[in-house]
Amino acid sequence: MKWARRNSPWLLHFNTGACNGCDIEVVSLLTPRYDVERFGAKLEPSPRHADVLIVTGPVTRQCAPRLKMIYEQMPSPKFVVAVGACSCSGGIFQDCYNISGHLDQIIPVDVYVPGCPPKPEAILQGIAKLLEKLKG
Amino acid sequence: MGQFDKAVELLKNNLANSIVELKVPRSRKAYVFLKPEKHRDAISLLLKQVEDTIISTITGTDLGNEIELNYHMICGGTVTLKIRVPKIKPVTKSICDLISGANLYEREVYDLLGVTFEGHPNMERLLLPESWPKGNYPLRRDWKAPENQEDIFVSEEAPKPKSVSGASESLVNVIVGPQHPVLHEPERFSFTLDGERVVDVDARLGYVHRGIEKAAETMMYFQDVYLVERICGICNAAHTTVFCQAVEDIANVETPPRAQYYRTIIHELNRIHSHLLLLGVAGHLLGFESLFQHVWRDREPVMDIVERITGNRLMSGFNTIGGVRRDIAPSTIEKTLKTLKDVRKRADFYKKVFEEDATLRMRTEGVGVLSRKDALKLCVVGPVLRASGVASDVRKDDPYAAYGEIPFNVISYNECDTWARLMVRADEVLESINIVEYALDNLPEGKIRVRVQRKIPEGEAVSRVEAPRGELIHYVKSDGSAYPYRVKVRAPTLANLMAFPDAIKGGFVADIPSVMGSLDPCFSCTDRMAFIQLNSDQKWHWSLDEVNNQKKQEGAYLVGT
Repeated sequence: MKWARRNSPWLLHFNTGACNGCDIEVVSLLTPRYDVERFGAKLEPSPRHADVLIVTGPVTRQCAPRLKMIYEQMPSPKFVVAVGACSCSGGIFQDCYNISGHLDQIIPVDVYVPGCPPKPEAILQGIAKLLEKLKG
Repeated sequence: MGQFDKAVELLKNNLANSIVELKVPRSRKAYVFLKPEKHRDAISLLLKQVEDTIISTITGTDLGNEIELNYHMICGGTVTLKIRVPKIKPVTKSICDLISGANLYEREVYDLLGVTFEGHPNMERLLLPESWPKGNYPLRRDWKAPENQEDIFVSEEAPKPKSVSGASESLVNVIVGPQHPVLHEPERFSFTLDGERVVDVDARLGYVHRGIEKAAETMMYFQDVYLVERICGICNAAHTTVFCQAVEDIANVETPPRAQYYRTIIHELNRIHSHLLLLGVAGHLLGFESLFQHVWRDREPVMDIVERITGNRLMSGFNTIGGVRRDIAPSTIEKTLKTLKDVRKRADFYKKVFEEDATLRMRTEGVGVLSRKDALKLCVVGPVLRASGVASDVRKDDPYAAYGEIPFNVISYNECDTWARLMVRADEVLESINIVEYALDNLPEGKIRVRVQRKIPEGEAVSRVEAPRGELIHYVKSDGSAYPYRVKVRAPTLANLMAFPDAIKGGFVADIPSVMGSLDPCFSCTDRMAFIQLNSDQKWHWSLDEVNNQKKQEGAYLVGT
């Protein structure tokens, strides 16, 4: 099981209020120059099939309960990667009235990838770090 | 006499008694302060007498005891009509019956400032999350976030699917989102289906609403440049350009010509990568995965140029008030020109793919039709409008930065369908490459920036640019301090989204992603302030036959009929 998880982590991407910058870089990961699929990773649309949740953006009040719902729907063990400054700390939006907080105030986070937006290489490294963690 | 002069003359001659003050501080920009409740007269006059008048947005500003409403009308230039309503009883008459495009903008003001528009078809409390407490209007100056927020914001009701009233048994409601595989942004759509046909669609936005307009008031102008940049990661240069232009307009600063050219270059590079991104995503949405992978691979060199020029792939941090922050080195210019040559070859090839690939054409031709008449009525902007046969482009109509000096063509197609919307973008990539090359070859010498005081004199300005997705408009009001009094943003997607229900009704379920994609929605821009419910003023439902009849009457082509 552990071996399978390490070699084919399925990713679920959820935008909780990002400006699109990080989202585009996450999608860039799938394209030929970065090609995250060489790690066996695959972007998966359903939370029920995913192992890793990639979250971008500060968590808006509208998104917070939905984010929790998605996290709960994922089968255990599950891992969370926070991509971008907003997701790690709230970034430039931290005091806005419709922001309910940054990601680790809502759900537990395993890997933080800072940057505004982080380069695809940085996100790749974050995922590689997570795979190392899975190795135990 | 141009359209704009005609509009100003008309207002002067016919409404002299209603006008308190009329200012034309710059060419193609007028500010008309009207007596209370006279806005309807002025707007109906403009709509009747000046061709192709549309409304861009409505800005509400809290002035202490009064709330000022600015109706930004576009007729050859920007005519801003202002009225004031008392804050104790903020009520005025709706203009929805005059121009249906104002529906969402009025609602946005109602939600954020508590102004009620009498006669609005659906003046419901629809703003912000469901848990947002009543009577709290975040854009009022005296509003402060409650200290113990947890107590107030805990009650979160899950949104209930809209029940279909009077529906036949065969109709099915399908809810998609907020987490869904099609777009990378969280939005919820409720489709009403009759078998494979889409009968109605209802969108619920606001998942990305952060409250940037309020945050902008708490930061200095120079800091705000970086804040507005983060409204959208894709078209960030458009946001900074339009914001800086508005502030420069108030401060009466002329940016040096070299800076104007630099702004144009970075703006067009943004457009190239944004259009390539969309063409790739369109391939993905149509099930043409290899096209998606190829286009995105060829988009990377463009990102490399942007990174080399500005230091970052997406957030450029390039524009500032008074000019730009960096010069471009000669070696970078050389490299850029060389890369663009390769990008042009690839873009030519992709254009050919979109023109000639039989499967792609079958999936997009005649799908998601938005007729010229509808496009104008719904006040859509950008490539969506140009694909419906209207050659309207802010770069040509109201030149800014260096666009007045650079030759380029405005692309428009008459097919009005998904295919046309994609082709407009494929052609515009090539046009943008021409613009960047011309700008780099004809770069004027001189300074790249003039110093601007931190404190901006009292005043106001409306500024427009052609972002990759269409007309982007910012309104900035200054009270003489280093902090803006009000910043208002209207992004192109809010205008274009109104076209989605019209374009998809009567279509197939399988066409939903491609039609949505062809509008190139960008919700991070749209949601920065408002969440809206599309078409909710239309509580009735069409049966499939009615949809078909309606479409036939309008002369539109419907798939499979």
